[in-house]
Amino acid sequence: MSKTSPRVQPRRSDSIGTDFSKDASLFQPHANGEFSTMKMDSPSAVSISRTHGKTQGGISPDSVIMSAKNLTKTYRTGKVQVPVLKGVDFVAERNRLTAIIGQSGSGKSTLLHLLGTLDQPDGGEVYFDGRRIDNLPRRQRDQFRNQTLGMIFQFYHLLPELTTLENVMVPSLIGHGMFKYFSVRRKLRDRAAELLDWVGLGHRLKHRPNELSGGEMQRTAIARALMAEPRILLADEPTGNLDPETGHGILELLKKLNQQQQMTIIMVTHDEAIARSADCCIRLQSGKVQQVHQQAA
Amino acid sequence: MYRWLLCWRYLRTRWIALASVVSVTLGVATLIIVNSVMDGFSAEMQQKMHGILSDIVIEGHSAAGIPNPQWYESEIRKTLGDDVVGVTTVVHVPAMGSFQFRGQTITRQINIIGIDTKTYADVSDFRRFLSHPENQRLLSFDLREDGYGAGREDFPASGWVHRKRWGAIQKALEQERLLREEYEAKLKKENAIPMPALGGAGADSTDPAALANAAPSIGAQAMAGPSIGASAGVAGAGQLFDAEKEQHAGIVLGIGICSVRGTKPDGSIGDFFYVRPGDDIQVGLLSASSPPRILSEKFTIVDVYESKMSEYDSTFAFVPIEKLQQMRGMIDPSTGMKSVSSIQIKLRDNADLDAARDLLQAQFPSDMMIQVSTWKDLQGPLLAAVKMETTILNILLFLIIAVAGFGILATFFMIVVEKTRDIGVLKSLGAPSSGVATIFLGYGLLLGAVGAGVGTVGGLLFVYYINEIADLLEVMTGGEVFDPRIYYFERIPTIVDPTSIVMVMCGAILIAVMASVLPAFRAARLHPVEALRYE
Repeated sequence: MSKTSPRVQPRRSDSIGTDFSKDASLFQPHANGEFSTMKMDSPSAVSISRTHGKTQGGISPDSVIMSAKNLTKTYRTGKVQVPVLKGVDFVAERNRLTAIIGQSGSGKSTLLHLLGTLDQPDGGEVYFDGRRIDNLPRRQRDQFRNQTLGMIFQFYHLLPELTTLENVMVPSLIGHGMFKYFSVRRKLRDRAAELLDWVGLGHRLKHRPNELSGGEMQRTAIARALMAEPRILLADEPTGNLDPETGHGILELLKKLNQQQQMTIIMVTHDEAIARSADCCIRLQSGKVQQVHQQAA
Repeated sequence: MYRWLLCWRYLRTRWIALASVVSVTLGVATLIIVNSVMDGFSAEMQQKMHGILSDIVIEGHSAAGIPNPQWYESEIRKTLGDDVVGVTTVVHVPAMGSFQFRGQTITRQINIIGIDTKTYADVSDFRRFLSHPENQRLLSFDLREDGYGAGREDFPASGWVHRKRWGAIQKALEQERLLREEYEAKLKKENAIPMPALGGAGADSTDPAALANAAPSIGAQAMAGPSIGASAGVAGAGQLFDAEKEQHAGIVLGIGICSVRGTKPDGSIGDFFYVRPGDDIQVGLLSASSPPRILSEKFTIVDVYESKMSEYDSTFAFVPIEKLQQMRGMIDPSTGMKSVSSIQIKLRDNADLDAARDLLQAQFPSDMMIQVSTWKDLQGPLLAAVKMETTILNILLFLIIAVAGFGILATFFMIVVEKTRDIGVLKSLGAPSSGVATIFLGYGLLLGAVGAGVGTVGGLLFVYYINEIADLLEVMTGGEVFDPRIYYFERIPTIVDPTSIVMVMCGAILIAVMASVLPAFRAARLHPVEALRYE
């Protein structure tokens, strides 16, 4: 990643390149609210080998972090009903990079939205860490998205009025009330700055999104997704709007996150090459799972 | 926390929204200006009205007036106790005043008010409107030597200085007239040819003095009192009353009676005096007897007053009460008891006038042909009119702000549409709907506060410099913005009432917040997925 952002400070880039344990605190999950009970048991327990290729049927229930059963979703445009998902089963394992691939209109984004509780399925269930989340009350879903989930979008979706640093801090601003925020704002600011540093934008803290390149915006979005110390990252075509080289940089960053920080990532893409490099690849077609491919690392 | 951060940022980056609160700003500013000016006007007016009127007036409706005012006074003091600061008795009667100017007679409808110089000052601020500094301290109905119109450059020479000069001219004219009459009589006798045109033509065109002298004879027919006019036809009558040394009973005229206000050639506003202290005025009024007779008498103007209430300044004339009582026959010849037309009472500051009036009303019921009123009752219609004007203007201007509210509503809908994606992002990052709604409500609040704040500051600045602004407008447009002739104020009076400003501000902010409720509600209800898909 120091390739894509050459102005990153040497000390930082060194640490990124060599030893992540230094920055481990950045990614250490901590107890936060409703979902604290769902936290990973311990780092050692998490080190389930992802080196063994497995078929979907052979996944041990312990290693499943997110799953969906028989999801259906139909959109209505006027009188026409468009079925988008027609009974999709989905399993994502802990600490792995799962790719969802399919042509446009295959329902992959809808599936991601359902997994991320942005939308509610017409039928079927979504589980996170063994707990059903699709039918939670609205408040709890909001909290779940805020504290347990990290979201990355194709069009970055940074808030244009805020600086890079503030954009990264948004999840924490949402999660904390005014008084709580004022008591921890220095810590939050430091953490946001560190995250930006880590994604290679340490020199861009005070810039507005419109002063950033696409790659830089996506890096900011990744930093934002990591801000609330999520347990899982959902990425919706994170490279879809970038040129191949920049997209590659972003992908490297996500992979590094996955490999070095043991971050579970579910990524929607339509790029076969990207899908192939994932640990597990689920192919959607016309709202149905066409193929599940487990990759041997 | 994100809510306030975002409101703040929206406020600083969306200039179009600020444009939508310009009308709020203007509305608030206008409201403040209008209220301040109206308050200033009505306060000034009340002060002026009250300056001449006492707090409570007990008026007798009978032409003969209220007999035995001493009894009333003691009753009043008994009823109201320590609240009474001063009591005075007054005789007032409608009258006609006429005076000579350049040989022509000018008549004015006036209200003659007989006052007691000793006690009238206790109930009214009347004295400070007088033009002579000595009279401002202690009113005297004797003509003073000089020094009228202190502080006024356009005030003509008045007092004995003027009267002596004028009296000398009158005397000379009188003498010349007598000489001519003698000569005409001699001519008639000598050639016995009738020459009717000679005297008449002379008087009409060449000899203005003859005209000046002829007119007062109207009065002379009606009254027996000594005057210059009375001397007509009586040789040597000038010796009866020497205008150079003597004066009639004194009268204080409103400035509007003896002068006209107009624009001078150089553009400044000034008074042109027909008569001035030192001149005489013929006053015709009704007697108190039944049936009323018309009385006419000459008075010497001893001062003019200017309360700047045109109604008072153009009708009120003050004379000594004894003189008026005597003239009108209000003194009972057998007992010597004097009647008055009204009793005026001054109460201590902050006394409850209405309560005092009600007490007195109970004491003196209406079947005594007596009416008890406060000065506000007497000026009720005028005060009520000003109050209603203020209320209506307030309502109208508040409607302007309400209209501005719809502007904000429309703009906010636009902003919500523009921010659809951001709203989707916030929701996908876990912001609850209530939080999103708060952003827009807070934004409305901030906008309203900014609009109202700027409007308040602007309005206050305008009020503070209102006279300078009026001057500037006059220079720029060439027209008269504020005409002192109409208002009798030199400067536009203003009073800033903090309570009303706070209320206007709160109202404006409330409207802005209410206008943002609907858009905020809409923003809160946006579906995150659809919002994110929105391009």
